[in-house]
Amino acid sequence: MFCLSSNLNIVYRWLPVLVTTLFIGETVRSQDVADISFIRDVAPILTKAGCNSGACHAKAGGGQNGFELSLLGFEPLEDYEHIVREGRGRRVSLASPERSLLLAKATGRVPHGGGVRMSVDSDNYRLLQRWIFDGAAIGREDTPDLVALDVEPANELMQSGSHRSLRAVARYRDDSTRDVTSLALYESNDHAMVQVNDHGEVTAGDIPGKAAVMVRYQGKVAVFNAAIPLGQPVTEVHEPNNFIDVHVFSNLRELGIPPSPLCDDATFLRRVSLDIAGRLPTEVEVREFFSHASDMRRGKAIDWYLASSSYADYFANKWTSLLKNRRDEQSDITANFAFHAWIRDSLLENRPYDQLVRELLAATGTVIGNPAVAWYKRVKEPKQQVEDVAQLFLGVRMQCAQCHHHPFERWSQDDYYGLVAFFSQVGRKPTAVPGEDLIFHKRGVATAQNIRSGQSVRPVALGDDVGVIAPDQDPRLPLADWMSQADNPYFAKAVVNRYWKHFLKRGLIEPEDDIRDTNPPSNPELLAALERHFVDSGFDLKELVRVIVNSRTYQLSSEPNDHNLMDRQNYSRFYPRRLSAEVLLDSIDQFAGTHTEFADLPIGTTAVGLPDNSYNKASPFLRVFGRPNAQSVCECERVESANLAQSLHLLNAPDISAKVGSTHGFAERLATDSQTTPVEKVRRLYEAAFARAPTTDELETSIGYLMDSRSDASGNPLDAVASLRTNLQDLMWAMINGKEFLFNH
Amino acid sequence: MAKSFFSITNMNQPRLLLLFTWMCCLGVTSIHGQSVCLPAPRLLTTMPMGGQVGTQVEVVIGGENTDDATELMFSHPSITASKKVDANGRHEPNRYLVTISVDCPEGVHDAHVLTPMGISTARAFSVGDLNEIVQTEPTPDWENPLVIPMNSVCNASANPRAVNHYRFHARQGQRLVVDCTSRGIDSKLNAVVIIADAQGRDLMVERGGDRLDFTAPADGDYLVKVHELTFKGGAEYFYRLALTELPPGTVPRRQMSTLAVSACSWPPPGLPTTAVSEESGDEIQSISLPCDLQGKFFPAADVDVFEFDANQGDVWWIEVASERLGLPTDPAIVVQRIEGEGDSLQLHDVVELNDIASPVKVSSNAYAYDGPPYNAGSSDVLGKFEVPQTARYRLRLLDLFGGTRSDDRNGYRLLIRKASPDFALVAWAMHRELRNGDRNALSKPVSLRPGATMALEVAVIRRDGFDGTIDLTMDGLPDGVTAQGLKIPAGKTLGLMLVTAHQNAPQGHSVARIVGTAQIGEQVVTHEARIASMAWPVRDGWSEIPSPRLLASVPVSVSGLEAAPITISPRDDKVWEVTVGQKLAVPLVHFRQAEFSGAAISLRTFGDGFENNPSFELPLGSDHSEATLDLAQLKTPPGDYAIAFYGTAVAKYVRPAKPSADGSPLPPPAPVDTVDLIISEPIKIRVQPEPTP
Repeated sequence: MFCLSSNLNIVYRWLPVLVTTLFIGETVRSQDVADISFIRDVAPILTKAGCNSGACHAKAGGGQNGFELSLLGFEPLEDYEHIVREGRGRRVSLASPERSLLLAKATGRVPHGGGVRMSVDSDNYRLLQRWIFDGAAIGREDTPDLVALDVEPANELMQSGSHRSLRAVARYRDDSTRDVTSLALYESNDHAMVQVNDHGEVTAGDIPGKAAVMVRYQGKVAVFNAAIPLGQPVTEVHEPNNFIDVHVFSNLRELGIPPSPLCDDATFLRRVSLDIAGRLPTEVEVREFFSHASDMRRGKAIDWYLASSSYADYFANKWTSLLKNRRDEQSDITANFAFHAWIRDSLLENRPYDQLVRELLAATGTVIGNPAVAWYKRVKEPKQQVEDVAQLFLGVRMQCAQCHHHPFERWSQDDYYGLVAFFSQVGRKPTAVPGEDLIFHKRGVATAQNIRSGQSVRPVALGDDVGVIAPDQDPRLPLADWMSQADNPYFAKAVVNRYWKHFLKRGLIEPEDDIRDTNPPSNPELLAALERHFVDSGFDLKELVRVIVNSRTYQLSSEPNDHNLMDRQNYSRFYPRRLSAEVLLDSIDQFAGTHTEFADLPIGTTAVGLPDNSYNKASPFLRVFGRPNAQSVCECERVESANLAQSLHLLNAPDISAKVGSTHGFAERLATDSQTTPVEKVRRLYEAAFARAPTTDELETSIGYLMDSRSDASGNPLDAVASLRTNLQDLMWAMINGKEFLFNH
Repeated sequence: MAKSFFSITNMNQPRLLLLFTWMCCLGVTSIHGQSVCLPAPRLLTTMPMGGQVGTQVEVVIGGENTDDATELMFSHPSITASKKVDANGRHEPNRYLVTISVDCPEGVHDAHVLTPMGISTARAFSVGDLNEIVQTEPTPDWENPLVIPMNSVCNASANPRAVNHYRFHARQGQRLVVDCTSRGIDSKLNAVVIIADAQGRDLMVERGGDRLDFTAPADGDYLVKVHELTFKGGAEYFYRLALTELPPGTVPRRQMSTLAVSACSWPPPGLPTTAVSEESGDEIQSISLPCDLQGKFFPAADVDVFEFDANQGDVWWIEVASERLGLPTDPAIVVQRIEGEGDSLQLHDVVELNDIASPVKVSSNAYAYDGPPYNAGSSDVLGKFEVPQTARYRLRLLDLFGGTRSDDRNGYRLLIRKASPDFALVAWAMHRELRNGDRNALSKPVSLRPGATMALEVAVIRRDGFDGTIDLTMDGLPDGVTAQGLKIPAGKTLGLMLVTAHQNAPQGHSVARIVGTAQIGEQVVTHEARIASMAWPVRDGWSEIPSPRLLASVPVSVSGLEAAPITISPRDDKVWEVTVGQKLAVPLVHFRQAEFSGAAISLRTFGDGFENNPSFELPLGSDHSEATLDLAQLKTPPGDYAIAFYGTAVAKYVRPAKPSADGSPLPPPAPVDTVDLIISEPIKIRVQPEPTP
């Protein structure tokens, strides 16, 4: 018997399909509609539409309105459950696919906080609709897994302003391939150099150099490398001083970027002193430097500064901040001083970097007996230890992998917990100092539990098996062994990149602690060579510094030539940097002949030599100029930019005028030194501030100013010494406020 | 209303005036903050901190309540001292001439001063064979260092926010050891020692209290810089800086230091001073039990492995000493049963042995008092290995601190023996309540005020399964002083020694002994307890950590200056008898000699089995009261007991007025609220069994 109502139901159910079929696009027509796989076909659409991004429904981001998906679809089986089984069946309505919230929200037919994510006439919409209509199945079990993603082309020389369409190809376990260009995600690592749209169309900017586009598809990544040449003839290239120059100049030739000339000796001396010792060269050092033969003096200056305790102070300042030597309580003081001193002493004696890191990672004992233990006071949880170690010493950011597959990398949660397992046997015993534990190796089998799978994970070093770790063995030691292996892909690379950035302003990989396949170096050959040199030197940090600053590359002038002003990553010139907070404060003190007093520390303690962050609170200068508070392992915590507050501080702050006007300062000494001529006074000022003699114009202007007579506030003329004193102070103030003083150039 | 201004005159010291006074008005609130612990004499500094054998050295002392010191005394009889007199024959304040006889053993001895208040706390005094100098002026500028002669010790102290500089001359290739002792001789200094070139550029640095072993790279002058790790300074940040020349290949000798509390349990009685050395290398060493070996945790991450045969049912006791030898180690042992051999060899863990637990819960140094701050335990090993089956076993010994450290001085002594039940004792002055993080009371000498009872906690480290009762006695006490031990019960780890200076006790002092006696098998075994104390009175536990150590002796003294603020004693000096299950009422007599805050003291009870006696109020306004013990509630079995009552009270302490320059008495200083532990005199009880019908 014919039943009207049931027939109406059939019509109601099939009508949209019929309509849809008329408009179905190429994507769906090209495959068997009965073969739609949630993992292969549906999940990528959701990812492309941004449904599972952190700000929308990704569980890692909180999952808007209770609809939680795995970030970027890394866990499609879980996502399937969330979509099909949860939400009281409203997300997917088999009886009425059009009423499925999945479709209605995405198309904006019902209010959606995330806005319209796809149109009803898009292929993606039709596929989702068809999938629901067909029963919203997970898909056939024999649907082949995605194994890789390729991008075509992988490399290309792109002229400025040119365009290139990328093609993303997914490869499956059964060797089949699929064009997923429209479903892949694209991201440039330098938007100023290359831009890419959602369709994979790349546009080269006008900045020469190398940039990359990361292509992502369902947990797989591929990279497109673009080289944008400047295209100028490079006819005059400096004779390489070492392998660094070979690689840098080769790259410049390839890109057609002519390098600047070498800087003069005075500029070099000031530059290398600031970069190695964190201070201006002293007058004695300037004289000593120029007393050497011109072909010897640079090398001698480098050796001098590397042998100085200033080098240890400066780099200890860098490392202790990254290692979170932070004063939270008054009782932290002993641990913080001990830890800072341990780093500083290690650098002074040039302890090999691998050994230093080993002693830190596997520290045991008490803070006084073994100050490296203090790191475990600041970084208490194994997860935090792993994340800090990975980012700081391996240049790998593992934070994401704690909860989900790393979105830009291959790191899974097992990789994350495999690292955590190395720290699972760190034993603690309380000491009398609040918050300070005695650290020991707790005997036992090292494991960590993957919080998602519940499985115990044994120690694995970023995919590398370190062998069986006996219960007697501190698992941190095999981790340190793995790090210091000559072929470790991260350890040496991370530190040479970090040091390269210290001296050249920009890392070969940027950010310096984000090493991954999808963030390639701007000069891979140079990075590899630096890495090799560092390992071959026995992880010798001083040698690393030496080889960098001995290079012609480091010694290039910061003055751009006619062509290389736009260059920001190829080191065709020296990139000027504002002095950091501590270095600037010390430089002002050194120039002014004064000392900044720090609580409970000896007079003469430099800002660079401060053991922890606690002095920031009492120093507006250090705060304004961005001295970090040791909260993060990222160098980005240090504020390196310039701002109005800094300018105002230098112009108006009482501490600056007090230094310049100090009754024991440089201005006073010069003013009252009747044996010194005005020319000599100006020369000494310029040498102290800039490590160079004044130019004729500068000399003339300065002497003219110094000779001016001055009046007091009542208009009464000052005597000659008082006038000179005031004029010297003014001149010094002006010099401090000039870019030549504020920048290392 | 003013109460009588109470003063005592000691029968033997009639010149001395009394010490505690009543407040003029009961309603007056002290404007002063509350102090912890009644004043005690504390010797805090001596300069120099030691001397050369066979010499006489002038020593200047400093401390708390030591201005009127009459004697400087030492724990070893071959060190003697006399007050220094000036040209007019007058004693120079705080200056002594110390004579160190030629037969005085080198090492660290204890110095005390005798004051009218009693014997002071101890301060380390080192005796060595090197020439000694004393730095009199700070040397903060590297251009103006103090010249330190070769093979000498410089006694000095660090200055706040400053570095002391020293200069020495060395020949190229000359080997020198620079050793700065500070923490090991009671100093607060965490020493930083730097060897620098003549221009002050650092060459070698030591910040962990270790020595610097330096070979001069060239002929010339060198500098030594010394400062405190956090640039603190002052008289209490003293140090002894030794510069010695050493032939190549010679093992440097460290300066001696005081002993940690954990050392109280080492060595076991009768242990030879040396043992067989373990074979170095990675090989497994075959041994037979019992054994006595010495070895090294060297190189880094070293695991020493021994194999031996053992029979099912045997019980072996394993003891490792390393931390107790003063080394920064944390030994651990695992014993494994070996099954199979070659490729099929399997190891099965049988027992893991780690730390020696502290016999009492150790204070966390938190705001409030939560236990004594003395850890008589150790990171060493002492434990039992019960052989589960006859087999070959493998013992793996490692240092849990040794993963990255290669120091061949980190040695150990390994003993594996059949059970030799025994015990070791350590005592310290008891404290119960500390206010506001104040650890002042932790540094307390056994200097008794007449009428006072002081409690010493006596902790035991039990060895090899000994679990019996330990009776505690004390001998060698001064006149008028008695001691009552409250035994360490079977299976427990803590007893008490109550030391009472009777109200008429004369001023005096002696070196006493605390002795524990136990029946172990057929033997009656006695051992003398070591005594521990804090190096410093610490008034702010947040910024300074108490530093306990063992003392060389147990000096006990009676004050001739002050009496106890209150004496609580049983009305009759007798054994109080009571039948089991009955109530015992003990009449108490109070002899109050100071004003207190509050009208009563809440008292609790010491004594095995009596700790649960409910607290009760002792009225301060009355001169008598009664304490009741409900033996039925306490379930006290028949036997002889000793108990005492204790509580914390706030006395209004008035420091004795000193005469003015013309000899007339000055008005007494303002009273200071002072919280301290009040303990009654011991009470002996005999619980009789129920009479048989």
